[in-house]
Amino acid sequence: MMKAMGPLSRRRFLTASASLGIGTIAAPYVARADDPTLRITGWGGKWGDIMKAEIGPAFESEFKCKLQTDSAFPYLPKLQASSRSAPIYDVLHTNSNEQWAAAEMGLVEPKIDPKLVPNLADVYPYAISDKIVGVSIFTSAIGLGMRTDKGYGGVTSWKELWDAKYNGVRGGYVIPVNSLGQAFLMMCGTLFGKGQTDLDAAYAALEKLKPIKIVDFTGAMEKMLLSGEVGLCVIHDSGIYRYDGQNQPTDFVSPSEGVLSLEQVLTITPGSKMKELANAYVNYMLRPEVQKRLAETVWYSPANKKVKLDAKYDAKLLTTPEKVSKLIQVDWKWYNERKDEIDQRVNRIFRA
Amino acid sequence: MQTTASSSLPAAQQTASVRIPRPTRPYGRTLYLAANIAILVFLLAPIAIVVVFALNPTPFIQFPPVGVSLRWFEKFFASRDFMHALWFSLEVAVLTTLSATILGASAALALARGNLPGTRLIVATMLSPLMLPAILTGLALFQTYVLLDVGRPTWGLVAGHTLVTLPYVVRTTLAVLHNFDTRLEEAAQNLGASPLRIFFEVTLPLIKPGVLAGAIFAFIVSFDQFPVSLFLVSPGNETLPVTLFNYLKFDLDGTIGAASVVSIVLAFVVVIGLDRTVGLRSYVKL
Repeated sequence: MMKAMGPLSRRRFLTASASLGIGTIAAPYVARADDPTLRITGWGGKWGDIMKAEIGPAFESEFKCKLQTDSAFPYLPKLQASSRSAPIYDVLHTNSNEQWAAAEMGLVEPKIDPKLVPNLADVYPYAISDKIVGVSIFTSAIGLGMRTDKGYGGVTSWKELWDAKYNGVRGGYVIPVNSLGQAFLMMCGTLFGKGQTDLDAAYAALEKLKPIKIVDFTGAMEKMLLSGEVGLCVIHDSGIYRYDGQNQPTDFVSPSEGVLSLEQVLTITPGSKMKELANAYVNYMLRPEVQKRLAETVWYSPANKKVKLDAKYDAKLLTTPEKVSKLIQVDWKWYNERKDEIDQRVNRIFRA
Repeated sequence: MQTTASSSLPAAQQTASVRIPRPTRPYGRTLYLAANIAILVFLLAPIAIVVVFALNPTPFIQFPPVGVSLRWFEKFFASRDFMHALWFSLEVAVLTTLSATILGASAALALARGNLPGTRLIVATMLSPLMLPAILTGLALFQTYVLLDVGRPTWGLVAGHTLVTLPYVVRTTLAVLHNFDTRLEEAAQNLGASPLRIFFEVTLPLIKPGVLAGAIFAFIVSFDQFPVSLFLVSPGNETLPVTLFNYLKFDLDGTIGAASVVSIVLAFVVVIGLDRTVGLRSYVKL
């Protein structure tokens, strides 16, 4: 019986496969539109959802173009591998540390022209400071995340992370691959030494931080905090606030020494053939209404000073000059120049 | 005969001669079983953990699990991104399987029969993608496509997957051809069969087990392929492993577990499907 079915099924199988193959290969060409295409990078998660559902389509409709978003990491090696005169992206959206690396290699333009992006006039100074390549459209605050059901009491300082009572429930990151971890290392220099660049003080502080549970991704830290596997950890505010309304026993602490900034940065590639559209996109992302919608979806603090968030978000995010003044920006140019040396050293610290 | 010889021995010696093989046997069998169970546990434990993670209702990994819920499966199947990635991965895996099987089996035949100069070198070259880190293969292909200015087309992804799956088909087909009795083809030739008929009616059915085994490897390797896909997927056309990687950077919940369970089930279904349509069992006859 199986033999009788064999040839027929095989034929069907091959026919279906061939059709599928032609369809799959041809589909992108059939679907290709005549509209100009702006190629950008972007995050996944809720950011990706709202960009696909609302923000992206609205931009496409207004500017009569297609927005092609690459949300598959890693962006920098892809940009590096592509031609400078015909880069794979027109606009690079990533964190500040990667933007600095891209700028050092000449892969992105170091600054955005305010004449071409009028909304640049309305951003907080940190968004276009000398610590930023391009423009920061949002920032998160890196501080401490804590469990509120373990009786730890009020945490007010970064230094409390070193308290022995958190041995076994302390959380941090694999520094070579995580920008929160890298920013925290710089903070250690400030806390225990002469400043961000005091690496010896930072290494000594990291040694004293053990035992510590370290993870690669920020999402993993969120889950460890939710599950109670860690009680106090380095985390960004949006990683805590995104669970707002779910009655989770977690809270974000803005340490008295200040919070580190985790900027969402946009830059334009020098070889882009869509410069006008790229500038329009940067300007669009800085519009107050776009900023408000995104900020209230992903709990990022908007860079535009004119944004008025709803009370719930306004109370927690960095929406006033006073709150923004608490931000500590990392000198990523300095850090990137020493990254290999730092990676080797911290790997030795946490391996031991 | 043995009974007669034994019965002529003194009672003590008889006992000794009977005792010699028996004491080692139960221990050996127990050890053998224990080793097999240990290997099975080692192989299946990760799958069991994934299943527990997928069915646990909490949004984080928790042991022991606090209940059973299908919420992560619902989330997975309701997600347009995951569904698109799942179907796209299947399409790419099917196309890869076809191309790797046709190319790999043909290459193996040529290598085994073609009296080609430098056969060993050619075989080593064909197997080399297995030795290279796949991420470098992906990066090299990406750069090639960029230089050729073809972007990141689906056929480019299929070509990349074919490159890394081809060695499996070549190797398994060569293994079958090694024991191939060429007199069967000669007999068919003597009976007047054309070369094409000999290929389809004699050669192909006999090498089918090896080709099929290679095809199954090709499908599974392509469906799970991550390092090569990482550089070759285009925006909006991400494969399931790439989508999962991007997802877990932001959300590490049971959806990852649910997606993994679906992947495992699909791979299983494909193997069963191939068995039913092409006859995987013939491989057992080898």
